[in-house]
Amino acid sequence: MHSDAGARPAAVTVAAAGAALLLLALPLIIRDIYWLDLGITVLVWASVATAWNISAGFAGGLSLGHSAFFGVGAYTASLLFLRLGLTPWLGMLAGSLLAGLLGALLGLITFRLRGPFFVLATLAFGIMVHIIAVNWRGLTRGAAGLLLPFDGGASNMLFAEFSTYWYVGLGLLGLTVGVSLAIERSRLGYYLVALREDEDAARSLGVRVVRSKVIAAALSAALTALAGSFYACFVQYIDPASTTQFELSVQIALIAIVGGMGTTFGPAIGALILIPLGEILRARLGGGPSLVLYGLLLMVIVLAAPNGAIAGLRSIGRRLGWRRRRPHA
Amino acid sequence: MQLALQILANGLLLGGLYALLAVGLTLIFGVLRVVNFAHAEFMMLGMFGAYWLWELFGFDPYFSIFIVVPAVSLLGAVVDRLVIQRTIGAPEVTVVFATLGLSILLQNAVLSAWTADIRSINTAYSSSVLVLGGVRLSVAMLISFGAALLFALGLWLFLTHTLYGKAIQAVAQNRAAASLMGINVRRVYLFTFSVAVASAAAMGVLIAPLFSIFPRVGQSYIVTIFIIVVLGGLGSVPGAVLAALLIGVVQAGAGFLIGAAWAELTYFVIFLAVLIARPQGLLGRRGAEVYGG
Amino acid sequence: MLEVRHITVNFAGLRAADDVSFDVEEGQIVGLIGPNGAGKTTLFNVVSGLVQPSAGRITFQGDDLTGMDPADRSRRGIGRTFQVVKPFGGLSVLDNVIVGALTRGQRLAQARRTAQAVLERLQMERFCHAVARSLPLALRKRLEVARALATAPRLLLLDEIMGGLNPTEVNETLALIQELNAEGLTLLVIEHNMNAIMRIARKVLVLNQGALLMEGTPAVVTRDAQVISVYLGEPLEPA
Repeated sequence: MHSDAGARPAAVTVAAAGAALLLLALPLIIRDIYWLDLGITVLVWASVATAWNISAGFAGGLSLGHSAFFGVGAYTASLLFLRLGLTPWLGMLAGSLLAGLLGALLGLITFRLRGPFFVLATLAFGIMVHIIAVNWRGLTRGAAGLLLPFDGGASNMLFAEFSTYWYVGLGLLGLTVGVSLAIERSRLGYYLVALREDEDAARSLGVRVVRSKVIAAALSAALTALAGSFYACFVQYIDPASTTQFELSVQIALIAIVGGMGTTFGPAIGALILIPLGEILRARLGGGPSLVLYGLLLMVIVLAAPNGAIAGLRSIGRRLGWRRRRPHA
Repeated sequence: MQLALQILANGLLLGGLYALLAVGLTLIFGVLRVVNFAHAEFMMLGMFGAYWLWELFGFDPYFSIFIVVPAVSLLGAVVDRLVIQRTIGAPEVTVVFATLGLSILLQNAVLSAWTADIRSINTAYSSSVLVLGGVRLSVAMLISFGAALLFALGLWLFLTHTLYGKAIQAVAQNRAAASLMGINVRRVYLFTFSVAVASAAAMGVLIAPLFSIFPRVGQSYIVTIFIIVVLGGLGSVPGAVLAALLIGVVQAGAGFLIGAAWAELTYFVIFLAVLIARPQGLLGRRGAEVYGG
Repeated sequence: MLEVRHITVNFAGLRAADDVSFDVEEGQIVGLIGPNGAGKTTLFNVVSGLVQPSAGRITFQGDDLTGMDPADRSRRGIGRTFQVVKPFGGLSVLDNVIVGALTRGQRLAQARRTAQAVLERLQMERFCHAVARSLPLALRKRLEVARALATAPRLLLLDEIMGGLNPTEVNETLALIQELNAEGLTLLVIEHNMNAIMRIARKVLVLNQGALLMEGTPAVVTRDAQVISVYLGEPLEPA
């Protein structure tokens, strides 16, 4: 946690500032639509993975059903826009509220479950939402999907310029990371980590299990849904395969794990690594073989380096001699 | 009435198939405390094994089963050594995603090697039907059903009446204590995993004459099997069989009444209900949901 | 302050607690002794709420605790340590204690100060930023106490906190217990170290095979023939 204030070396602050500037200026530097598109995709999945981390990394609840919330966000905003003409800026909020409620419900159902039982429950939940998305054709048009007509411009979150999407996406990521940081340094953050480390000890100290887990689950779901709504407005066509499928839940988890579960910035780094990598592999090797590597990567990472890239970066930092300014033990 | 009997029969036969997969999975769950997401992929490998031996050499699946099962078991043993054993005692993340990664790897390796084309085996008896009291029963399904129940019975007898079987149970209940008693835990893991994989492969071979064969075929089964295993109780072989038959009947019945897709939804609901109300399932031990391993 | 009435706990055929009844008065230090497996920790688990008894009732400061969650019991003033220590391994020592202070309702900054004060009192302030799992056992046990103290309990259940300590450390711990008691903390202490119990406990409860064998002053209990025979038949050294 962050009880040792002021321990960050100056180098990190400078690097962070530099990175922020780079992110803001990116669309001015990179003009190629292909790379901007990729970048925006990275932003979307970085947000989702960061949101996932709130429930999984902090609280320890490994959810394999988060694609459900992504889908809820995507479909709610899209349907409200298509059927009622409601601007996605508001539809997004509706979607995240709905997802938040669903997340809280899921949290209530699963708080007592540990280990694989929790995973399976979330998996079941995710698949249930997918089944509904595919089969409730009256609502979602099933596998045919929903097409968002390019209608109405900025007020409907439909931009001609890719760079605008980039900034909105950046805002989304910023919001998600901000919430994650806020939690990390708050009472809730302490409670969640305590629950993750030792639930019985935490309970005996007065940590309220249900309340903490449900809040974390709701926040995680709501933020994921925001990303889903944004995604819908970005790609302008959604279907169950691209929003609620199980594979997406796995991808979200993989991104967070590769980057570093339990840390705020880990998932974003994971997205930065994996999304472009996935693109390149798919382009070079085709669907099948690239997924073979994907599966292999998943196995290798969790067996050899379950703490992800952030842990690797930290140990490099240590070796480079960064000494944290704190009393010696 | 006739229709109801037919549906019941279909359901029971289907349940029997599920039982063969479920028993293996519950064994892995119960003994190694590992969620084997790749379990259905071993079934898929069994199916493909049967297919290629039939396609290339004309071997009947009931013959090639004696080749395919040992071969896939060997693969299972390798997987156990290289992957599974490394997940024992590892953080939750590792346990879950190692087998998930394996599942993705196996599916797509097969996809890359043999394409997504749907294959099938058509033997003389593929479509033979036995009519019993007006109810049509697929011969191949009957044989698989019989094999599944025989296997489950044999396994249960082995676990409860032989010394090694009891050793396996001991490891399932308390691995630390078992190892202190001189039981070679790693060898038990290897044995258990290989047997479970063998049963999955066997199921694959047995149903190869009946169902379409393609790389992703495991996906349609795996979640149902998890539901069955939880419903029946972690590590309980009789529980897995009972739950498998139950789910088979529910699936057949619900499928008939409300269509396949919505039927699937019903047993997810059942699944969540069980997890909330009685996490140890029908025949499992209380406290299984807080498994310690 | 604490009324335990007819507590019985059955674990699938094993009777871990058998109709146990006793009182702990406010301001007392009560010792709980008994051979291994007697059910002492089970009793703690029932009082702190981690285990639901099959029968019986616990009343704390007049309130019936039946069905109450461990977190709520902690917030009402029941603190405990665990025999097999349960630190939040990945967190620093300070953060471990902050968790306890937070549940009191304090804000983060205040909780941090409270935690630092507790750690200072236990002479652990120089380990503030050490990662909990890197601590040796003696310090982990002290951390358990620090964490529980941070919740400002009215009744503190200590489960064998002197196991593995050298005589100096035992003396320090006893002094701390007596200080805390003088400040108004009621303590129920499980211990195997008989000399320690003798020095601080006003009353001693003896548990054997889940049942309360006897209760009395340390002097009486340690001379009782039944108690002695339960502990391998060796007479206990007087203080």
